[in-house]
Amino acid sequence: MNKLFKFLIFAPFAACLVNPTLAADAPLSAREAAPHDLTGFWVAVVTEDWRYRMMTAPAGDFQGLPLNPRAQEIANAWNPEADTAAGLACKAYGAGGLMRIPTRLNITWANADVLSIETDAGKQTRLLKFGSAQDQVGAGSLQGVSAARWDVQREGRFGPVVNGTLNVQTTAMQPGYFRRNGVPYSEEATMQEYFEMVTEANGDQYLIVISVLEDPVYLTQTVMTSTNFKKESDGSKWNPSDCVAQ
Amino acid sequence: MNTKLLQQLCLAMCVLASSVINAQQQDFDAVTIEALQVRDNIYMLVGSGGNITVQVGEDGVLMVDTQYAPLSEKIIAKIRELSDGPLRYIINTHHHGDHTGGNANLRATGSTVVGGNVGGDITDAGAGAQIIAHENAMLHMIAPPEGQEAAPSEALPTLTYFNDKRDMWFNGEGIRVIHEPNAHTDGDSIVYFRQSDVIATGDVYVTGLYPFIDIASGGSIQGVIAAANNIIDLIIPVYGQDGGTLVIPGHGRLSDMGDVINWREMLTIIRDRVQDMIDRGLTLEEVQAARPTRDYDPRWGADTGFWTTTAFVAAVYQNLSTPQEGSL
Amino acid sequence: MAKFMRSAALSFCAVLGCLSAWTVQAEKNLAGVWSGTYAEDWPDRFPGPELGDYAGLPLNDADRLRAQSWSASLIALPEYQCRVHPADYANSFADIRIWEERDPITEVLIALHLQHFAWQTRRTIWMDGREHPPEYALHTSMGFSTGNWDGHVLTVHTTHLKEGWLRRNGVARSDQATVTEHFIRHDDILSWTVVVNDPTYLEEPFIRNRDYRYNIDGQIANYPCVSVIEMVREPGYIPHHLPGDNEDLMFFARNHQVPVAAAMGGAATMYPEYMQVLKTLPKPEAGN
Repeated sequence: MNKLFKFLIFAPFAACLVNPTLAADAPLSAREAAPHDLTGFWVAVVTEDWRYRMMTAPAGDFQGLPLNPRAQEIANAWNPEADTAAGLACKAYGAGGLMRIPTRLNITWANADVLSIETDAGKQTRLLKFGSAQDQVGAGSLQGVSAARWDVQREGRFGPVVNGTLNVQTTAMQPGYFRRNGVPYSEEATMQEYFEMVTEANGDQYLIVISVLEDPVYLTQTVMTSTNFKKESDGSKWNPSDCVAQ
Repeated sequence: MNTKLLQQLCLAMCVLASSVINAQQQDFDAVTIEALQVRDNIYMLVGSGGNITVQVGEDGVLMVDTQYAPLSEKIIAKIRELSDGPLRYIINTHHHGDHTGGNANLRATGSTVVGGNVGGDITDAGAGAQIIAHENAMLHMIAPPEGQEAAPSEALPTLTYFNDKRDMWFNGEGIRVIHEPNAHTDGDSIVYFRQSDVIATGDVYVTGLYPFIDIASGGSIQGVIAAANNIIDLIIPVYGQDGGTLVIPGHGRLSDMGDVINWREMLTIIRDRVQDMIDRGLTLEEVQAARPTRDYDPRWGADTGFWTTTAFVAAVYQNLSTPQEGSL
Repeated sequence: MAKFMRSAALSFCAVLGCLSAWTVQAEKNLAGVWSGTYAEDWPDRFPGPELGDYAGLPLNDADRLRAQSWSASLIALPEYQCRVHPADYANSFADIRIWEERDPITEVLIALHLQHFAWQTRRTIWMDGREHPPEYALHTSMGFSTGNWDGHVLTVHTTHLKEGWLRRNGVARSDQATVTEHFIRHDDILSWTVVVNDPTYLEEPFIRNRDYRYNIDGQIANYPCVSVIEMVREPGYIPHHLPGDNEDLMFFARNHQVPVAAAMGGAATMYPEYMQVLKTLPKPEAGN
């Protein structure tokens, strides 16, 4: 009887720790678990840092950026012709700076657990890998390795999803520029990104990419930016172009 | 006067005249009178026609302007929600029908106090509310321009002033009725409630259109700008350009210093541009073609209705080309 | 029996605790002092935008003329000296403080209050579902704001704004505009997105972000501003440039070798395809 009583008393507590819905179903793929649909074509809306993004500022113009002396030296010495000659025209198109390039994005699911972000500017592809799909393939490349997860908000612990964020950690990037005029990040840089989707009253959808870049080699502080993309109805304006160093 | 200019201005006046007539034929059944509390005892009534300012208190009710006659019942009903005191005073900011149309009806509901510092003929007692206005406003109501009807005698101001101001005390505060010469008309008054810190401006300041400059009634762009500067001089904001003295425009939304400053800035810049064009010898047609108001048109302009951008530019050109007697 | 009752009480409390843990709040606590970060738009935000720089703004022809006519001498007039930045521009620099106003009995959130260091302005974001005032109510520099949570995103809708600016070099934002904002917090960072809809002066909605980092030691200093007469002027004098008369308009274009057409802005300048247009446009002569 004592054992029965104990079971009846403590069973509800144990039940709290278990999500009854999960017990019934197999784990969802990243595509199935997505709180919103990020796929489709998105266009950069360049209203900030215009002359650094739509044009290329001259070497040494890095006002407001927390560069240490070594980074400043590199930025001051930037030579786009030399980069082009050395086959490094895509240095500004690495993951650390790609989202700031005026570009269109084509976001698709490469498979159930890998989200692909292609850019027409520079013809780059970032692969955001979820869960068991995460690996080190791409380490040392321009786009590095991106580990992704969904951070969702529910009504209550097990209620319907009300919103969510695509949380991406990128490491192992090849050295690049996070601003086109030669402002560098090193191979030790890491980047935390939050991809947020909002819908306005007039139906416009924006993808806001909040990025925090850390680099112990070149930065005295983190560099935080928020970059906006607007949803397009189709890919009719998709216009792939090669990297340009300037 | 340039024939084309004369034609444009006459067109504007005829449209105004017809709008007064049409006002009588509007569907006033669809109009509701809304009250916005401005200060403890000051309200702004909006409906059709000009804004009405209502001050309530122990002494009774004071109104600034009366809108259209067909709306009088609704206006009275709204005032009764605010106060059951007798209507003692009506102040008309100018003579136009959308501000004085209800004079006769509203006056009849009120009663005049005579004695103390309240002047007037002893026979005024019990004869309805006093209607105060600048003398020129009354003269326009008696002898309006061709095409407009004279106001009935019971709608006429009963107490006029002809100098720069008239002071009174009502409901515990000083009220200064200030003449703004040759602005919207030559009979404009603004009403400054000193303790409540509210200014009712009549049509020398509005928030929805370029100012209607009634040239036939002595209006001028210089006078409208001068009135704006005078209003700004009276205003004390809480901080920056926000809050503090509140301004009830002749038409449009409740305002404060920032709004009147923006209005003044817009008018001054347009005036300067047109003056510059006149100084360079441009004709009215050339000035119209140059569109000196095009950066303000999306906000203040109109292509249709009784007061268009074209009419406004023509009036400014007329004022600046031919300075009027007594104007600034 | 006593032991049974204690165990039952313990289990009951555990269940209650679990139930409250199930109701995970999606909303974030935005309260605290947040320090601005300036990796974006630093020259525009601190030294200030250069004369003739409207690039990347979707302004229409009317707004362009407003900007081209603007004179910086306007700020020297006493009535303009303490003019505050409007709510949609005030986040351009310096720190902010956010705090909550909750019902003391129910703990329901009534409002969020936000204080900007710049000009010491304070705004209220009503979270209690109240209606916006009628169209004839007063417009203010901070406007009237209501907010709601969409999961972790605070979305704010603001009306009743006084005329303001998109950029403080004369690019006007009219009093007919409405503004939508999204406040997004992750850990100790806050991203504040502003979307301006202005039927008077914009060809398209204008979107811009500002980013903050939580400052555990943060304090907001006061910001005194007193108007003085800097220069004696005629009463009613308004400095401005007549159309076609502004020699300073080329400042930004010449300084940075930006084609003048691009510097004059417009919706097209916001999109990637404009980079191809830029290649075809002549650049001005260098110099100021």
